[in-house]
Amino acid sequence: MISFRDVTSKFDSGAGIEHATFDVGPGEFVCIIGPTGAGKTTLLRLIHMDIPPKGGTVIVDNFSSDKIKRRKIPLLRRKVGMVFQEFELLNDRTVFDNVAIPLHVQGVGMKVVREEVENVLDRLGIADRRDHLPSQLSGGEQQIVSLARALVKEPLVILADEPTGNLDPAASLRVIELLEEINGDGTAILMATHNFSLVKDRGHRFMQIVDGEVKG
Amino acid sequence: MIDRFLYLVTEGIRSLWRSRTTALATTTAIGISASFVLFIAVLGENLSLVIDLARDQYEFQVFFNNDLNDGQAAEVAEEIAALKGVTSVSLITKDRAAEIFEREFGENILDLIQDNPLPTGCAVTLEEPAKGRLYVEPVIKRIQGISGVDEVRIQGRLISMIERYYEGFLAVITAFAAAVLFGTVVLISNTIRLSIFARRDLIRILKLVGATDRFVRFPFMIEGLLAGLLGSFLAAAVSYGFVEGSNYFLSLFTHYHIKWYIEPVIFLAAVITVFALFGSMRAVRKFL
Repeated sequence: MISFRDVTSKFDSGAGIEHATFDVGPGEFVCIIGPTGAGKTTLLRLIHMDIPPKGGTVIVDNFSSDKIKRRKIPLLRRKVGMVFQEFELLNDRTVFDNVAIPLHVQGVGMKVVREEVENVLDRLGIADRRDHLPSQLSGGEQQIVSLARALVKEPLVILADEPTGNLDPAASLRVIELLEEINGDGTAILMATHNFSLVKDRGHRFMQIVDGEVKG
Repeated sequence: MIDRFLYLVTEGIRSLWRSRTTALATTTAIGISASFVLFIAVLGENLSLVIDLARDQYEFQVFFNNDLNDGQAAEVAEEIAALKGVTSVSLITKDRAAEIFEREFGENILDLIQDNPLPTGCAVTLEEPAKGRLYVEPVIKRIQGISGVDEVRIQGRLISMIERYYEGFLAVITAFAAAVLFGTVVLISNTIRLSIFARRDLIRILKLVGATDRFVRFPFMIEGLLAGLLGSFLAAAVSYGFVEGSNYFLSLFTHYHIKWYIEPVIFLAAVITVFALFGSMRAVRKFL
């Protein structure tokens, strides 16, 4: 589903990855670990086709970085969910409206939007917060809303960039458990983290980035 | 499809509401400046009506040399009728002139001086151009050049003068309207630019979840369109106020009142809205 073929994407600062070659199959849970600035975010942005590789090819589903046209990138992004450390929620919209955005983008009818959003909020245990603004929620709850927004469009893969970076241990564990639950239903997860202790011994595949080299 | 369209329109309205202070300033600026154009356009329509009325009644008299007999006079009249721009020529023979004299003064001229000194002549009407000014002078010069014509008596110099002013008036309106439309594009473009910067978060998230450029741009276009439309409504309302106010003052001195015309209002409102849309497109292309 995701293939990196000799991919290089280095910044002037030296951060980034070099000659990375690996595959991620459907339904896998992959933890990308490495220190800050190692290139974890770069790797996720390459999958999201937010940046083009300087060398090699990134293939996600049927989209290849060396062939994809700019106007086709949104179609790829509809199959990829993203979760960030900073939640990236719209503070002037309710939880419901934030989660509904990807469905509106896809042109889903209002009735279906209501059903789908209710379902995903219910599934992630925040249905009672549907009319709250993000500022009225705890950090953990905001991250779950962010996860709901990624999940509502039923993506092939969720890319989580330090999703627990701003959370206390209990909330972090809750987010990890939810990601595992989602993964259990068949959605692949690629999670970048520098908190190895949080994800070790949970039976996931690990990829380590050291000096630009992707191992594992 | 309809759901997506409604969502985008709602987003546009929401966007306008969020930047309401800037939008209000823009709408007011467009509305006030366009209201002057509209008011002048309405005055122009009124003036045009006066000119049309004057044109309808416009004719002038041509007097022939006294030594022409009726047959020669008819030939001269035919020559005049053949000129470009002349619609009709009504021949006035010596006998007909005497009848007119008797009708207007109540006396038979032959009873007074035993001879008919009245010249033969004709009344000439000119073709009204579909647009533009009625050019009287060239026709008169050509008539004066015809052999047998003694004098051309013109009452139309005032119309010509009014028409000259009317042409100038149209040029001023056009220039003013062009300036307002240019201002509309710049104002809307700046409003949308501010709106884009204020909504960077939304734009980033939309792109993140797979929105196309068109989807991201559409609400901003709606926002600009609505600002232009509101400005047009305001302009229509203010210019109506100008007309009513002017009529109140006119009523103190004269029975004449300025007539309100909806056509130029609708036309200008539509043009302003189109230019507002153009201003939004300019901003989204440049800043998104």
